[in-house]
Amino acid sequence: MLRATIKALLAHKLRLALTAVSVVLGVAFVAGTLVLTDTIASAFERLFADVNAGTEVSVRTRSSFEEGAAPVPAGLVDTIAGIDGVEAVEGSLFGVAQLVDKSGKAIATQGPTVGTAWVDSPDLNPFRLRRGRGPRAAGEVVIDAGTAREHGFELGDAVTVLSQGPPETFTVVGIAGFGDADNPAGGALISFVDDAARQVLGRPAGFDSIEVAAAEGVTQAELRARIAAVLPVGVEAMTGEATAKESAERVQDNLGFFGTLLLVFAGVSLFVGAFIILNTFQILVAQRTRELGLLRALGASGAQVRRSVLTEAAIVGTVASGAGLGLGVVVALALQRLLESFGIDLPAAETRFRSRTVVVSLVVGFGVTVASSVLPARRAAKVPPVAAIREDVAIDEGGPLRRRTVLGVVVSAAGFAVLLAGTAGAGNGAAYVGVGSLVGFLGATLIAPVATRPVARVVGAPLAGLGVIGRLGRENAMRNPRRTASTAAALMVGLALVTLVSVFAASARKSTDKVIDDVFRADLVLNASQQFATFSPEVARRVRAVPDVDAVAEVRRGEWRSRGARNFLSAADPAELARVLDLELEAGRLEDLADGGVLVHDDEARAKGFEVGELLPMEFPRTGVQRIRIEGIFGANQLTGDYLLSLRDYEANFTDQLDSYAMVKLRAGVDRTAARSAVEDVLAAFPNVELQDQEEFKSEVAGHVDQILNLFYALLGLAILIAVMGIVNTLALSIFERTRELGLLRAVGTSRRQIRAMVRAEGSIIAVLGALFGLVIGVVVSVAMLQALRDDGITETAIPVGRLALFVALAAAAGLGAAVFPARRAARLQILDAIAHE
Amino acid sequence: MDPRTALGRAAAAVDVTKVYGKGDAAVTALGGVSVGFAPGEFSAIMGPSGSGKSTLLHCLAGLDTVTSGQVFIGEVELTALKEKQLTRLRRDKLGFIFQSYNLVPTLNALENITLPLAIAGRKPDPGWLDLLVDAVGLRDRLAHRPSELSGGQQQRVAAARAMLGRPAIIFADEPTGNLDSRAGAELLAYIRRAVTELGQTVVMVTHDATAAAHADRVVFLADGHIVDELLEPTADAILERIKVLGG
Repeated sequence: MLRATIKALLAHKLRLALTAVSVVLGVAFVAGTLVLTDTIASAFERLFADVNAGTEVSVRTRSSFEEGAAPVPAGLVDTIAGIDGVEAVEGSLFGVAQLVDKSGKAIATQGPTVGTAWVDSPDLNPFRLRRGRGPRAAGEVVIDAGTAREHGFELGDAVTVLSQGPPETFTVVGIAGFGDADNPAGGALISFVDDAARQVLGRPAGFDSIEVAAAEGVTQAELRARIAAVLPVGVEAMTGEATAKESAERVQDNLGFFGTLLLVFAGVSLFVGAFIILNTFQILVAQRTRELGLLRALGASGAQVRRSVLTEAAIVGTVASGAGLGLGVVVALALQRLLESFGIDLPAAETRFRSRTVVVSLVVGFGVTVASSVLPARRAAKVPPVAAIREDVAIDEGGPLRRRTVLGVVVSAAGFAVLLAGTAGAGNGAAYVGVGSLVGFLGATLIAPVATRPVARVVGAPLAGLGVIGRLGRENAMRNPRRTASTAAALMVGLALVTLVSVFAASARKSTDKVIDDVFRADLVLNASQQFATFSPEVARRVRAVPDVDAVAEVRRGEWRSRGARNFLSAADPAELARVLDLELEAGRLEDLADGGVLVHDDEARAKGFEVGELLPMEFPRTGVQRIRIEGIFGANQLTGDYLLSLRDYEANFTDQLDSYAMVKLRAGVDRTAARSAVEDVLAAFPNVELQDQEEFKSEVAGHVDQILNLFYALLGLAILIAVMGIVNTLALSIFERTRELGLLRAVGTSRRQIRAMVRAEGSIIAVLGALFGLVIGVVVSVAMLQALRDDGITETAIPVGRLALFVALAAAAGLGAAVFPARRAARLQILDAIAHE
Repeated sequence: MDPRTALGRAAAAVDVTKVYGKGDAAVTALGGVSVGFAPGEFSAIMGPSGSGKSTLLHCLAGLDTVTSGQVFIGEVELTALKEKQLTRLRRDKLGFIFQSYNLVPTLNALENITLPLAIAGRKPDPGWLDLLVDAVGLRDRLAHRPSELSGGQQQRVAAARAMLGRPAIIFADEPTGNLDSRAGAELLAYIRRAVTELGQTVVMVTHDATAAAHADRVVFLADGHIVDELLEPTADAILERIKVLGG
């Protein structure tokens, strides 16, 4: 039997290829994701190993936060220097700083732009001077070789540095490399003498950490133990190895989300691929009815036939997974480019191909293929021996659609319910949403065949213009509703998700616009010119001094923890904020924040049972757990998030003081144009800040939404590509099945062009069908989810009709494209082959 | 046969050879066949399996290419036509009836009958269509799809389809091969009437002497050559002749 299976496979290379393509692409996505995340992880591991190469022990304030911990007392440097076995010790300072290029623009780098205090000990400094010397006076800096080369900075040049204080000018006295590289992970470096670093980075006292090199013969562990013995409470010593490992793990944690996101999309591709495999095997079994009947007639048992189909699937799955694995490396590179084009930059590194990637890819590809062929295999086993000799024994394609439809309605309703429960916040929300949508899709595919005929009739109506050829195309699309439906279902999944994100994006945009209209009282916004960047509070201070300006509310953002759980907060000066933003306060007064305290959004307060006047234990990076009084409850959280802290408390509990954005209100009656240009004059010194009015602010926010939307489109693109392959597949196999019919059409005078038009009509109907099904599901699900998520910021529902119509048009075009190859095959058919052979 | 004598015939083959395959594997299906079919004549081509009778029909109908020689449909030299012209000629001048009916399963009986005209983008002549539908006795079956029709009914749909375009000639390839004797007789009677009453030219390949007896003339083929011919045949005469030829 095995030999017969293998022979059959080899005899039908095209069949093998068509089935395999969807698996190959799905597996390639999985493998590509794994390769990419492994590559990035190893790049960071190496980076941190390099950074910490000379450091045997690192001393810092104990904190559960990744950054922003309180400084270590400077006096510890001398204490540690006196310990036996210490070779060198240096206090280290690092923070955010940015250079201005020669044309006056703030330099944006791929990696972090760090400002540090220059470390003289080569053991403890990961940077190596290439030219010049280290800084010796307050006005001198060392910059990295990459930035110097790219922006044409030379020794002796004056450079402007943007950081927490006012912009300052320094002289470049040294250019350094990062080990062998020109810069650390595509980032940039500006290094000062200690005093200048303190001032620029806003570290009046202490060090961010103290780095220690061990004397010959002293191990990291020994030295760590000796140092730990003299440290005050709350300060910890870690070995260099532990620090490097911790840093790498932290990055991996952060990247973990990103890897998960990619894997979700890979999963979608495989899910779509599973439809294609199922459908292809279903068609192949139907076409091989005679051959299978012969096997049965020759004495093969039903179980043997079933095993033969499963074996075929296993071979296809294995071969395709192997091919997908190879293609995965290419996909990894493509994904990296894709992410870069969306501004998510990653350090360059040698591609990592772990054995885990191989195992996962093979198991997934094999598993999906074999699982998808179970149903067709069962059907094959039911072919009776008489099918070998009689032509009219149709393979059991299942009874009437009623049972299937009822089951589909039940299943999709259950899936929908689970999905809504997830969005409404039941249990593990994401898991509920995932399982719910999976089940819902399966249900929808069960219902789809019953809807196929009527919908195809309507969709195909415009093809009447093509005369009988168009009619034939439409009839062909309708003649096997199950087949058409499962082919369309693959596209349906992709389109449903595309619709979902489109509706979400449009709704988010509309909600933001509405919020800005409703609660925003400011005239202008000061915004960082790079996404996620921050700027010096000096900007707000100077803008406030402009005579036409009435109020400037600067907003800082930060992370705090509640029993280990991450939370985010915004901080602002209450008096200024009151003039630019309507927070829709429900309890308490904004002015009460002046003496410290926190405001909580009403839904959050309700969910957590918070009351005004209660002391909320908040853990901050710099100061640990502090009990902050809840001063009020507010209703409009779209611009601030759920927690609003007083600026006073922020300054006390966070190390870095950098603004995320600031809202500016002009005095009543002033000339707006003049006022705006006065503000712009101030900003001339801060090229990292942009001035926006309400409309510009809106489109800036919308731009961020669109960027994410485009990334999702690109990632869903592969699933849609696989679905289109599925249409190619179905059409090609159907044409093979209709050889005789095509021959007849040719014999009675149908031209090749007409045959091609007929196949293209069928392809576009299948595609539009899938797109419409997906669109309906996407709209229904997204509207329901938006209802459930009303309290989480997206208050408006917007359906981007024009865009959705465009998707349907694109689907039709994709269907036409998918039909090109099958249509050509159909048109090339030799008439005699088609009619002469029985 | 001289090419010029082919003129005036409904269809003619002039010294047609057809070789399948190459080198050692080459099989000669037709070894220089010359034959003509007069307008208004019902001809049958007979011969044992492998005699080349189907190949001859396919070459005459432009469904297959010839290795050498010429084929004429009326005044047109088929063998000189390009693919597109050939398709148009088949559409406008020829009718086909195949052994396995070859109806389009997604179209109903009426749509199948009018298919070639629909492909050409033309409307059928209503009077002519009515006449044909009544002649084949399918008036009450027009809205049925092929799967809802018996074999005989399907083949009569195919016959009506072949007639509708008023083709210069109809080629029938074992039209009764899949039918029981009664349905076969009905079909042949219909074809006979089309020839006698409407002057339709028909060329039919068959291996059934009873079927061939409906024809005006029988051409016998063996090993790729025309070996005999019989006018005004009867079934017995045909069987006699086949015996002599060693079929």
